[in-house]
Amino acid sequence: MKRLQRNPDIVWRVEKRRQQAVLDRLEAGEETEDEGTVILLISGMMHQLNLLGGMIWNLCDGHRTLEHIVTELLQEFDVERDLLQTDIQTFIDDLIERGWLSYDQSTD
Amino acid sequence: MTNPLTEQFSAPLTFNWSLSYRCNFTCSHCYSREEECDELSTPQLKQIVDVLVKHQIPFINFGGGEPLLRPDLYELTTYAREQGLNISMNSNGWLLDAAAAEKISTAGFRSVGISIDSADADLHDDFRIRPGSFDKAVNALDVLADAGVRTTMSSVISRINYRQFHDLLDLARKYRVPQVYLHNFKCSGRGFKNRQELDLNPQEWKEFYVEALKVKEETKDLLISFDDPVIASLPGYADNSLVKGSSCGKLSLNLRPNGDITPCGFIPLVVGNILRDDFEEIWYNSPILNKMRNKEAKGKCQGCGAYEDCLGGCTARAFATTGDLSEPDPHCWK
Repeated sequence: MKRLQRNPDIVWRVEKRRQQAVLDRLEAGEETEDEGTVILLISGMMHQLNLLGGMIWNLCDGHRTLEHIVTELLQEFDVERDLLQTDIQTFIDDLIERGWLSYDQSTD
Repeated sequence: MTNPLTEQFSAPLTFNWSLSYRCNFTCSHCYSREEECDELSTPQLKQIVDVLVKHQIPFINFGGGEPLLRPDLYELTTYAREQGLNISMNSNGWLLDAAAAEKISTAGFRSVGISIDSADADLHDDFRIRPGSFDKAVNALDVLADAGVRTTMSSVISRINYRQFHDLLDLARKYRVPQVYLHNFKCSGRGFKNRQELDLNPQEWKEFYVEALKVKEETKDLLISFDDPVIASLPGYADNSLVKGSSCGKLSLNLRPNGDITPCGFIPLVVGNILRDDFEEIWYNSPILNKMRNKEAKGKCQGCGAYEDCLGGCTARAFATTGDLSEPDPHCWK
């Protein structure tokens, strides 16, 4: 099982009010892709993740595989599974490349 | 990745927390030496940690006063670490021997800063009015490094050291310190009383920062950090700060030993108490914090091209010398 886990050295936080504002705007049909809802503090620099990125990040808790994450987020977004899986895989590959996520290869 | 966050954060990222104003030193520039304040019990301190966890405030930096004078420091730190908070501390190093370093390591401190004012032992001791304090401070750096604790060196720039800051950097290298903070001089407490003797004039500040920024750019083996918004207009200033102007009230808040919250340790305006008041109400609606976040250019700041970057410089210094949060920083050379 390849479970996804966050780099434990990264300090992060959900910006709750901003997340709620983004959810409200999404509900109203507005574009929110560039709006940060999760902040990551890495080596004194701040980075942000948008709503989908923040949700993925939140689920990378060392207990879930990619498939688990896709299944959970399918309940939140009205899209085809293959499309969502591709988007999530691309995002995760980017963060693994940056060293912010990794796969836990240990078995149960 | 997304656009820069321009709206207010949902909570500060750091609480600078004085558990006590008691100290075993009486330094000439200290902001808190003449402060008196009730201290809280260990259960009350843990309640504060719970509040910080609830509001997802990730960093605590203990200062003071000397944090190591509180015997429950390790218990409190362990409690905070267990809940995922990141803890650091500033100390004068006097009480920090090998046994203390091991306790600090076990308690999970992320880093410990030791205050050193001069690489000249006699000058440091004179300034701290405590013979032997230099030797204790550098020994603290050594035993912390031996215990695997990341160290930093904190040096408040003043008339006694501004021409010799290179020596402070060499001292850091000698004692395996990866990061040096060259702090700006605050006109608070004894720093206010002794500012004629210790503070630089604006032109001297400019000359110091121009050189120090150049050295920072050229230095690869040591991280050199500043915390002075007045430098935002200088060449070599890398704009990687999360906010413009002073970070107080935007990224950080200060906790006094009785739980009172102030925007920073150098601004004695209480905006609420963390145990008695609703934290979100303070954070979002404090008139003082909102005034600091929305400063209006006054005096020579009006029409100055640097204002949008420095936002008037250090708000604490402006307040200390004029009583007005929006007045220009007295260190400004423009």
